[in-house]
Amino acid sequence: MALQPPSPQSNVPRIDVANVVDAMLLDGQVKWVGIVYEATVGGLDRFTVTPYVVDPTKGPVV
Amino acid sequence: MISRALFLLLAAGMLSSCATQKKSGDQLARVAKDWSLSIRASQVIPVYPLTEDLQPGDVFLVQTPVEEQVKVYLAKGFLPLENLVTRLSPSGYARFYRGWPFVQDGDKAPPRPWQFPKDDSTDSDFSRAPIAAFPTYNFSVSRSEGLNVAIPVQGVPIGLNLLDSASANGTITLKDAFTYALPARTMYDAIHEWCRDNADYLSQYEPTESTTDGKRTANKFYLRVINRVYLVKTVDVSLFSNRGFGFGGSAGVPQPVQLLNIANATEAAKQFAAVNEILSNAISPATKNASAPVGAGDAAVPLPVAVGGTVKLAMATSRSVSLVETFRRPLAIGYLASDYAIEARGKCAAPVPTLSVLEGHGALAGKTIEYLGCDENCARIRPWIKQGTNQQKLETWLAKQGGAIAIADLLTGDYAGLRQRVVTELIEASQ
Repeated sequence: MALQPPSPQSNVPRIDVANVVDAMLLDGQVKWVGIVYEATVGGLDRFTVTPYVVDPTKGPVV
Repeated sequence: MISRALFLLLAAGMLSSCATQKKSGDQLARVAKDWSLSIRASQVIPVYPLTEDLQPGDVFLVQTPVEEQVKVYLAKGFLPLENLVTRLSPSGYARFYRGWPFVQDGDKAPPRPWQFPKDDSTDSDFSRAPIAAFPTYNFSVSRSEGLNVAIPVQGVPIGLNLLDSASANGTITLKDAFTYALPARTMYDAIHEWCRDNADYLSQYEPTESTTDGKRTANKFYLRVINRVYLVKTVDVSLFSNRGFGFGGSAGVPQPVQLLNIANATEAAKQFAAVNEILSNAISPATKNASAPVGAGDAAVPLPVAVGGTVKLAMATSRSVSLVETFRRPLAIGYLASDYAIEARGKCAAPVPTLSVLEGHGALAGKTIEYLGCDENCARIRPWIKQGTNQQKLETWLAKQGGAIAIADLLTGDYAGLRQRVVTELIEASQ
């Protein structure tokens, strides 16, 4: 059985974003990763890291 | 008037067969796209042409890369279902539709109990199937553009000829629509079991790279697994003429056809009955001996005409005509599916919903989880993964655990217990 795709992760501190992205890219299907700033808590910037399989910048094509 | 209607209907049949040979491939493709775009608007991937033989568990081999699929989908409006590889028969209907009457697994799994409720009859009875509803679709039709030969609803060209018009605006209402499905998780287990059993077969479709003009292109194959289908039994077609008269049967006749003039009730009823009689007699040899479809109404309902459906005139005026087309059994008009990329050694990857990819929503499945930090075990696992074949070992181990979570989720998600087991059972055990 193949593994589930990685889930988006919230509340990721700036210092560990690279490691989280690295782990998501272990899944061969993940081609893009979105990093969105959430907030600064206690002087630490927090991000949501989201894996994608197609280019998310192209948007819906309805 | 009656003989004129008959002449027009015969002309419709003749024109259809002649026009089929003359119309270009481009015109037909555009018609397929127009029809498919209408279905697509309901967030369903269209099937073209309509077919009864499509059900959850059907697995198609598709070659088009994910990014290329979007282009094909936009250009054609539908996705070609290239090669039917297998039909999975996973059990799970009885559990998924618990309490739903007459739904069971095995040989009597849906759609069979609705498709052939009686052993000695080919009549269907979908009255117990889950119901769906579609919005009304508007369209424009022009005889010169060939729509009458390619739209999968034959009421349109018949209506156009009854109107004696070269072009018209119309609406299609998909009535008596049904849907049924199996959950994606059930399909996930079934397809991965099938992939394991057929890894040798699938390995011929593992990813390859080709170089064109110095540009490297990855070629991937996908297994598209249907998990929900939408079926329609009845289609209402209403056409409103753009012009009073067109070509063909009406040549030289300046007045528009008045099939039903309500002001003259007696005459109108006669004409109405006559047109339906004509439609009922216009049956193909293949369907001539077939019995009338179930649920099509009273005894006045005609037998199927040419393509397999039953067309009945419901309403007509000098500038508009409404027809009801009933298929012998419901036909699939759309589906929902997931795509599984075929990886090296014939391994099947995680699923991606086909519609999400096509509509540009590329995020992988799964809810957002909270990052909980990299604890002591995470800190041990991270460098260990990078060594040798440890990543593969970890993936194999995780696949045997409940949920088969991703490595990224394992490392910083709420899986402290699982991380501890990885350290104990994989890292420390190998030292």
